[in-house]
Amino acid sequence: MTDETRTAIRAFVVENFLFGDDSHPLPADLSLIDNDLIDSTGILELVSFLEERFAIQVADADIVPANLDTIDRIAGFISRKQAT
Amino acid sequence: MPSVRSFEVGDVDAVADLFQRLLRKSAQPAGDDLKTYLRALFLDLTDRDPDIRSRVHVRDDGSVSGFIGVLPVQMEFEGRPVRAANCGTFACDDRESDPFAGARLLRDVLSGPQDFSFTETSNDVSTDMWRSMRATVLGPYSLEWLRVLRPAAFALEAAAGRMSALRLFTPVVKAADALIARRGGKSSWISYTPLAGKADAFADVAVDDEEFATLSQSFLAQYPLHPAWDNATLVAMLQHAKRKALHGERVQHAVKSRTGKAIGLYLYYGNPGGIGRTVQILAAPGQESVVIDCLLRNARERGLVAMRGRTQPILLNAMIGKKCTFLHASSTVVHSRNPDLLAAMTNGHAFLNGLAGEGWTRLIGDRFG
Repeated sequence: MTDETRTAIRAFVVENFLFGDDSHPLPADLSLIDNDLIDSTGILELVSFLEERFAIQVADADIVPANLDTIDRIAGFISRKQAT
Repeated sequence: MPSVRSFEVGDVDAVADLFQRLLRKSAQPAGDDLKTYLRALFLDLTDRDPDIRSRVHVRDDGSVSGFIGVLPVQMEFEGRPVRAANCGTFACDDRESDPFAGARLLRDVLSGPQDFSFTETSNDVSTDMWRSMRATVLGPYSLEWLRVLRPAAFALEAAAGRMSALRLFTPVVKAADALIARRGGKSSWISYTPLAGKADAFADVAVDDEEFATLSQSFLAQYPLHPAWDNATLVAMLQHAKRKALHGERVQHAVKSRTGKAIGLYLYYGNPGGIGRTVQILAAPGQESVVIDCLLRNARERGLVAMRGRTQPILLNAMIGKKCTFLHASSTVVHSRNPDLLAAMTNGHAFLNGLAGEGWTRLIGDRFG
């Protein structure tokens, strides 16, 4: 899990869920669900991005808040996937 | 952990409840009629392709929280067999507690063994989800056409949908439409006058399911990508389409020349004074315009105030000049990893919607006890 990974995820979230508004503080532990930044549609966009950008395969069972609700969790999920 | 699995008999009650609450927006509990129908449609019919099944999303405790109804369709693309999944009925609960359930369910279905997946009844939320999965919206298949036949009565009927007491004004609007009709003149987009034309050389005749199915096969062959129904399958679908209590009486006609040669078919539902709903128009190549004229004439003679239906590219072209209005209500969306199939669909070479959709099922337009 690197800062580069977090930066890439953050950039994706800002671009796609905040419509480019980078003034949002967006801390790495902010819940994307509780803050209404991501829904069923958004998660599919995020998963497609992760699969392409980080060359990982996301299983349907992986699509749970425990893996994808915050930037930190997403970065950790990518690390675990890349390690397997 | 929540999971996705095939729809089973034991899920019928839970799925009927989801259907009733989320899609029919009803607080009434689902009745046995709906449960029996969901089982007949999504379990019994899928015997045709046991690998392509409806799917349910299941919570940790084993209860069902989501459903995608999948109808397998055997199709043919340039002579080769193709497997399609018609994924029209999509309902998911727990948006607050598990906002990713719908996403898991849709991903699971779209990753199935079919060559392509499609829906013709996608609302804006579903369409966004499909798009996120790299699906394609087919614009020319996603419009509702509307032809007003009796303008005053149509306006009343449209308003009475919200305030039924307005139907007390029916005699007044009949007089208004009679006056408009007497003034005659050319058709405009708000009034309809059947004009002399090619349609005069043809007659509409009621046909039974067997004949409708047989004739359908001959008209479908012109589409490079089309369903490969046998007659028994098509007849079974027409049996499902026998009744649409919310849409009115069924009219199932062939358009025939004086020598008895059929040049087209139409299937619609509607009662006098109401707005008719077309499920299917089929025509021999180049005869679409005549068949549409015959449909509109029949609807007007039966006292309908307007006709509507779903577009297909070939019909869209034939409707130019017929003073139709086009609106968008829901979308036809397709997902495939096969570029040739996608190209056929985006180029309008596929037979989709209506009978090759959900329009023939009782889920569209019928009442459940």
